[in-house]
Amino acid sequence: MSAEEKFDVIIIGAGPAGSACAYILARAGKNVLMVERGSSPGSKNVTGGRLYTYALEMVEPGLYKQAPLQRRVVREQIMMLGENSAVNIDYVNYDFGEDVPQSYTVLRAPFDEWFANEAEKQGAFVASGILVDGLIEENGKIVGIKAGEDEMYADVVVAADGVNSFIAQKAGLRPDIPAHTLGIGVKEIIELPDEIIAARFNLQGDQGAAKVAIGCSDGIAGGAFIYTNKGSISLGLVLNPEQVGQKGRSIQEILQDFKMHPAILPLLEGGKTVEYGAHLVPEQGYQGVPSRLYRDGLLVVGDAAGFVINTGTIIRGIDLAIISGAAAANAILNSIEGTHAGPLYMEELQKLALLPTMKMFAGWHSIISIPRMYKEYPELANDVMRFMFTVDGQVPEKMSKAMMNIAKRHVAVKQMLGDGWKLFKSV
Amino acid sequence: MGKVIACYKWVPDEADIKINSDHTIDLSKAKWKISDYDKNAIEAAVQAAQVLEGKAVSLTFGGANAKSSLKDALSRGPDEACWINSDLASEADGFVTATVLAAAVRKMEDVSLVICAEGASDTYARQITPRLGAELDWPVITSVSNISINGNTIRAERQLDDCIQTVEAELPAVISVLPEVNDAPLPSLKAVIAASKKPVTELGDKDLGITDLTSKTRVQSQKAYVMIRKNIIFTEGDALDQVKELVGNLKKEGIL
Repeated sequence: MSAEEKFDVIIIGAGPAGSACAYILARAGKNVLMVERGSSPGSKNVTGGRLYTYALEMVEPGLYKQAPLQRRVVREQIMMLGENSAVNIDYVNYDFGEDVPQSYTVLRAPFDEWFANEAEKQGAFVASGILVDGLIEENGKIVGIKAGEDEMYADVVVAADGVNSFIAQKAGLRPDIPAHTLGIGVKEIIELPDEIIAARFNLQGDQGAAKVAIGCSDGIAGGAFIYTNKGSISLGLVLNPEQVGQKGRSIQEILQDFKMHPAILPLLEGGKTVEYGAHLVPEQGYQGVPSRLYRDGLLVVGDAAGFVINTGTIIRGIDLAIISGAAAANAILNSIEGTHAGPLYMEELQKLALLPTMKMFAGWHSIISIPRMYKEYPELANDVMRFMFTVDGQVPEKMSKAMMNIAKRHVAVKQMLGDGWKLFKSV
Repeated sequence: MGKVIACYKWVPDEADIKINSDHTIDLSKAKWKISDYDKNAIEAAVQAAQVLEGKAVSLTFGGANAKSSLKDALSRGPDEACWINSDLASEADGFVTATVLAAAVRKMEDVSLVICAEGASDTYARQITPRLGAELDWPVITSVSNISINGNTIRAERQLDDCIQTVEAELPAVISVLPEVNDAPLPSLKAVIAASKKPVTELGDKDLGITDLTSKTRVQSQKAYVMIRKNIIFTEGDALDQVKELVGNLKKEGIL
């Protein structure tokens, strides 16, 4: 094969994982090809959009300052929706993002394009609009990729091709993905003037809010998110596709109901939906990570490796993608022409705290799989609040008794104890 | 052995164009692309160059942002690219663009054929091909849906409203092609990689020795138009009456 057909590393997918990997490798002088299926990096992405900036710091200190970020998140909100009511927990910390940058909302189309461009500036070669059809294997080792008629060789191939990674499947590292391990995410970007966003979410300047909500999915396992951007908000739902099917409801309908909820509508009113999309989301946390993340000549990073943490209150994916991309790059740099990069990659994932963090949150998946989390408990919370704030001139029920009655109305005592035990055990 | 030039325009993606409430057009969020029809022109030039055993050259007249177009153009097959980098491009009318392109064609030696698309996907003014022909004093063939080249003769099928006309001309010539002329394939991985190694010539408008580069027409405003709906609901009488009334109305409007 000629020199033109061989790279040191080929990266499949120009999302945050791929670009982080390409950036570090190219900076170190490696000959890197990053192949992107979309017409430009980010064009295929639907992520709601929040980036914990520590991850970009690991790629290059100060890099995040040039990134097209939206708003600095200072306000964290958790909402439990009832039929016609809502319990809202609002935590604001104005130190967020001052000394220690923590998180910013992002729009992925401009962010991914910027990040790939930064990798290109370091010397990586980015080829967009190219679908990788498969891998080239020789004597059990992955030695390159196939794209249409073309074959291209490399010491190491990095699969950064996202949640339904066909590359990891083709390499035999992942089975065809069963529906119950995934969420289906739908999202809209709704344009609103910045002063209206600031007023509705109680923000100033570049401050941003991140809101998660439960009790808005018609009892289906899942929840909603709202992120404030510059001049727009991102709003969406992540739902269990199996249960959506069983309920016989369309996802758009559930999203529409959420948007029309009296506690949500005033946030959106007058806005214009300028973009909508749907995508799969890895939902299983640590349990969803394939038992093997490498083969000789192949490393799997980002969503393709199932690196997502959803605790119900925070959703992390972009930062883990970047960290795993960095881990793969470090492993390749520490190896001799990619030989045995796999075990080194696993070491890096430990060292960069990715796998230990995922393990730490491993139990959370069993909490979010408690069916009562999506209907009974949010309703219970709303009833408790109603009792506490109702003044009608009658003698109120005794507090303890009232609470017990409310609880019993929604969940059997035995179930509640069981769920409590599950919560305690998992966390 | 002559060169075949494919002219293309770097245009905002129409999918990203926004209309403001006052009907003005907002291009600030638009990505830019090679005008879709021009992709067929580039492919036609690559094919013609093979027949003529010459080089295919992509040629564009655009501002600084058109630099991003070069790699894309080259990945579609031309051997080299030429970019006239000028701020005049954004305000240019057909006269200026054709004058610039003709000067660039003259500067390149041994050109056999210039291929444009019938019109650009943003303005679709259909000015460039005839004007280029006049500037170069070469034969012009427009609305081409099929090309064959034999020696120094080009034979082209012109797709007209209700017939197909076959025309022959001696090279060098200027032609404009319709999208039907070929299926412009998506660039392959190797073509994309090879594109970055192909030669690019960058020229300024001043390098072309043109004295008059003043647009003869100036765009005064560019606004979206609003279709006013009539919102007529036929409620009188039974279904048959309503249909009759609907048909009557459509006839009155000249639709039927």
